[in-house]
Amino acid sequence: MPLETVVRHETQRLEILSPDGSVDSTLDPHIDSKTLLEIYQKMIELRAFDERAIKLQRQGRLGTYPSVLGQEASQLIPAFCLKPSDWMIPTYRGTGAYYGRGMKFRHSLLVWAGDDRGTVFPEENRDMTFSITVGGHLTLAAGLAWGAKLEKKGAVKAEGRASLSRFGKGVSDDGAVVLAYLGDGASSKGDLHEALTFAGTMKLPVIFLIENNQWAISVSRRTQCAAETFAQKAHGYGVFGLQVDGNDALAVFSAMQQAISRGREGRGSTLLELETYRMANHTTADDASRYREKTDVEKWAKRDPLLRLRRYLETLKLMDEARHQELLKNAEALVDAEIKAYESFPEPNPLDMFANNYASAPRALIEQRAELEALLERKMRLGEIVEIPPLEGRFP
Amino acid sequence: MTKTVVKTRELNLVGAINEALRQEMEKDERVIILGEDVGKNGGVFRATEGLFDRFGSERVVDTPLAELGIIGSAMGLAIAGYRPVCEIQFDGFTPSIFDQVVSHLGRIRSRTRGRYSLPLVIRSPHGGLIHAPEHHSESPEAYFCHTPGIKVVCPSTPEDAKGLLIAAVRDPDPVIFFEPKALYRAARGPVQEEPYEIQIGSARVRREGSDLTMISWGAMVGTCLKSAERLSQNGTSAEVLDLRTLTPLDLDAILKSVSKTGRALIAHEAPNSGSWAAEISAEISERALTVLKAPVKRVGGWDIRMPLFRLERYYIPDVDRLLMAAEEVLAF
Repeated sequence: MPLETVVRHETQRLEILSPDGSVDSTLDPHIDSKTLLEIYQKMIELRAFDERAIKLQRQGRLGTYPSVLGQEASQLIPAFCLKPSDWMIPTYRGTGAYYGRGMKFRHSLLVWAGDDRGTVFPEENRDMTFSITVGGHLTLAAGLAWGAKLEKKGAVKAEGRASLSRFGKGVSDDGAVVLAYLGDGASSKGDLHEALTFAGTMKLPVIFLIENNQWAISVSRRTQCAAETFAQKAHGYGVFGLQVDGNDALAVFSAMQQAISRGREGRGSTLLELETYRMANHTTADDASRYREKTDVEKWAKRDPLLRLRRYLETLKLMDEARHQELLKNAEALVDAEIKAYESFPEPNPLDMFANNYASAPRALIEQRAELEALLERKMRLGEIVEIPPLEGRFP
Repeated sequence: MTKTVVKTRELNLVGAINEALRQEMEKDERVIILGEDVGKNGGVFRATEGLFDRFGSERVVDTPLAELGIIGSAMGLAIAGYRPVCEIQFDGFTPSIFDQVVSHLGRIRSRTRGRYSLPLVIRSPHGGLIHAPEHHSESPEAYFCHTPGIKVVCPSTPEDAKGLLIAAVRDPDPVIFFEPKALYRAARGPVQEEPYEIQIGSARVRREGSDLTMISWGAMVGTCLKSAERLSQNGTSAEVLDLRTLTPLDLDAILKSVSKTGRALIAHEAPNSGSWAAEISAEISERALTVLKAPVKRVGGWDIRMPLFRLERYYIPDVDRLLMAAEEVLAF
């Protein structure tokens, strides 16, 4: 008997906006002008922030910072497409994702200054903290999507339903979706395998978004994975997969809208590979010149997501040089104000580290907190510290 | 007779580690380095700097980003006869490898009735105080020390780092090798040029004393030495014992010192409850209760997660905390 093909898979790539700003009209998602301009403005602000954050680090005013330069479209737009009642989990390279959800730059700065008080999301959002260890959030995302699926079904009634709404504005009746970012590096972790397995078998409303920026620190995309695309990994799990030009704002927007509809309508999970490029070092602690060619970076600079969107806006007569300059100026002013707000936070009170560890404090923590208090008093006596800042966190 | 001249020069801790790796790779073709960014980039702390150029991409291997895969495949390589030295980029990433470590790594020799052994090394940075983001400042040694069948090492000087790493590479059993990252460049000292081994399982007295034994490992040894200096200004003579190896423990050295001083203080960076200090305290109490003049004191991190770095200096014990604890022990 001859070999029989039992299944054949194809992986498609979505690209709408070419680098010169022209659009494939058959794929144009027809985003309204207001939304387009809002996205562009946020991308400009994100880039202005990113440049300043790196400078702050160099001046010793910020800790290690992971740049999102070149990934503005792939970071910001997916998060921007969500409703507050949707869940979002970014990676550590997630300043753009958080900004797309309305988080303030001052809080991003606080986190990268090593201050736990930076974890402040807009009240109405269902956002998660990022984790530095990669991939661990992916099965958690499946769990959130499981919850969202039950929520849509109305599995929990009456007062229980109210308790589900303690995050954000309330339960979502049209079906919340979950957006979980990961990188090309994290896709190698077993976590993605398990998360896709759960998502596929349970048809969960989750979007796994691989921001393939071609580098996991110094390890190139080709060393990371032997498959031609990351998107095709979806096929092994009964999940829809699509490769997207991640520097193409229209393609990212369009792919996200389709993935969100798929989730909301109960048609299952999506794996998106957003092809982009990490234009900067891995973090401010890295030196990419040790392991990659300048020419590679220059090649990708021509596909810059901001430049492409700007050209498109120009063809629509929505942007010109004067307008652009005004946006840049306003972005600088916004970032200035955020840096000022960040730097006017008082020093944290060391006792705050004991806050929020348990709903009620175990004996060990009560004792240890008192020990730290005694230590602080000793340091005051010795003149090692001048003042103890006010307490902020909640210690039960 | 010709006199053997031992050539030494100053190295920092990461330089000593780099030299140990290079010399073992020169000596033994079976030694393979694998991990994230260990190749072209030379490791994020540059511990493997220059090795990729020298030994090539088949012996210094940049792996995909998958810690469990690194350890699992290294175990396969080890059983197949190689001597893999894995790098787990940060201490906070080691929980990813637990499935292999706990379920297999320490068990294969016993499970195969001695047929297969696992001569592999897992290197990982250790500890805090470098202003790093979350998961980059952890002290997970107790999880590993609790696991039978493996050895756990944590040096505090360049000299010990080189000798212990060479011993670890040559060891027939798996060794977890923690490198105090705060000391990578801060700790400098004389290191012999020639390869040499320091016996795994041997502690070292770093300062002699008679009133109190301060037991520690890794970067905390330095804090103990500073505290001992401060104590001496008030007439207290503290001995500082650098364990260097956490499993197997050098009980002879611990008991010898505690028998002399009658007081023990164990200092470390990890959450204190269930820490390796607890095990050391229990050993002293079980074996030397009658020589003790005061209860054994543990000083560690608080039983909460390591806070982000603005507060890390209030989490990891500093000289003031060690002095407070020492005063308590001495006043008992």
